[in-house]
Amino acid sequence: MVKLDQINISNDGLTKFFSPIEAAILRALWADGEMTTSELTGKTNIPLTSVAGTLDRLVKAGYTTRRTEKVNGRVRYMYEPVFTEKEAASEITTKILDSLVETFGPLAVENFSKYSDKK
Amino acid sequence: MNLLIGDLSCYGQCLRSWAPFIALIVSISIVLISISLILSNPRMKLKLFIFSQTSGILSIALVYYLMECSEMLSLYIYSSYLFASTFIIFATLRYYDRILIRKLGAKPAVSILNWTQEFVSNLTSAKLYYLDSAIPRAFASGRSIFISIGLLEMLDDDELKAVLAHEAWHIKYNSAMPFMKQLALMAFSSSADPELECMADRFAAEVSGSEALLSARNKIDRVFI
Repeated sequence: MVKLDQINISNDGLTKFFSPIEAAILRALWADGEMTTSELTGKTNIPLTSVAGTLDRLVKAGYTTRRTEKVNGRVRYMYEPVFTEKEAASEITTKILDSLVETFGPLAVENFSKYSDKK
Repeated sequence: MNLLIGDLSCYGQCLRSWAPFIALIVSISIVLISISLILSNPRMKLKLFIFSQTSGILSIALVYYLMECSEMLSLYIYSSYLFASTFIIFATLRYYDRILIRKLGAKPAVSILNWTQEFVSNLTSAKLYYLDSAIPRAFASGRSIFISIGLLEMLDDDELKAVLAHEAWHIKYNSAMPFMKQLALMAFSSSADPELECMADRFAAEVSGSEALLSARNKIDRVFI
């Protein structure tokens, strides 16, 4: 979920933190920047039925912004990611580390330093 | 329970010779309403429900009129409930679009597509609003038509005209329709009437051409499959 209140460790890649459709949309936006709804459905290969609600949700949660554009008398949305991939990764990491330290305290910190030593 | 029986016998004494007549009307409306609950045909169901409501209201008016002794508190309470609920039902239906505009954050469509409001105004006196949502949908309520940007993105001008004409029909020819719908809900019959949608579609085809209507339908059906 976009609010990042649920993490599924067993899932692959971004779907650990996002739903598969949210992840696909974000990946497409990060790869190609600004795009319209039809470009998004084309790139992600997901039908509009499934994408439309998710897009509304991503906008509401602040992961993407959209503006309405008028081209040849037709109205269309233009989507843009709010964070870069790097910014999103750092936000997710910070949130998870915060919750680990909050739960396990010094033990979590001790493990972090072990981890960075290993690296 | 005792209070109710006491009240009822009091009514009987007050009404004297009229009591059986009124009892008949009341039992007719009770029978009608129970039949309307069993029936599966929504149209019949609605008709029976309206009849039973009318005879119920008639019996109340009669009791009020024929009462030979001082009126009773329960009668006052019930009549004021009746008036208040009828008023609320009408007021809610008439002004529900105001609530929707605020709740959905709808904005006048003139600001994004200026010809649309003029097109709707030529058909009926309704205001067109757009919703900031990617989910394609359009609906009419009160004296307002709502259309989402998701739907605007999908349709070309002719198809959009067909959709707008369809919604305008709902407002133009059915200012009483929301009330019927409300009654249909109260009578536990289905509220979506395919016949009405067909009539709205026929009107849309007249205004925008059947081709535009058909391709708009196709596009929308593909999304909502």
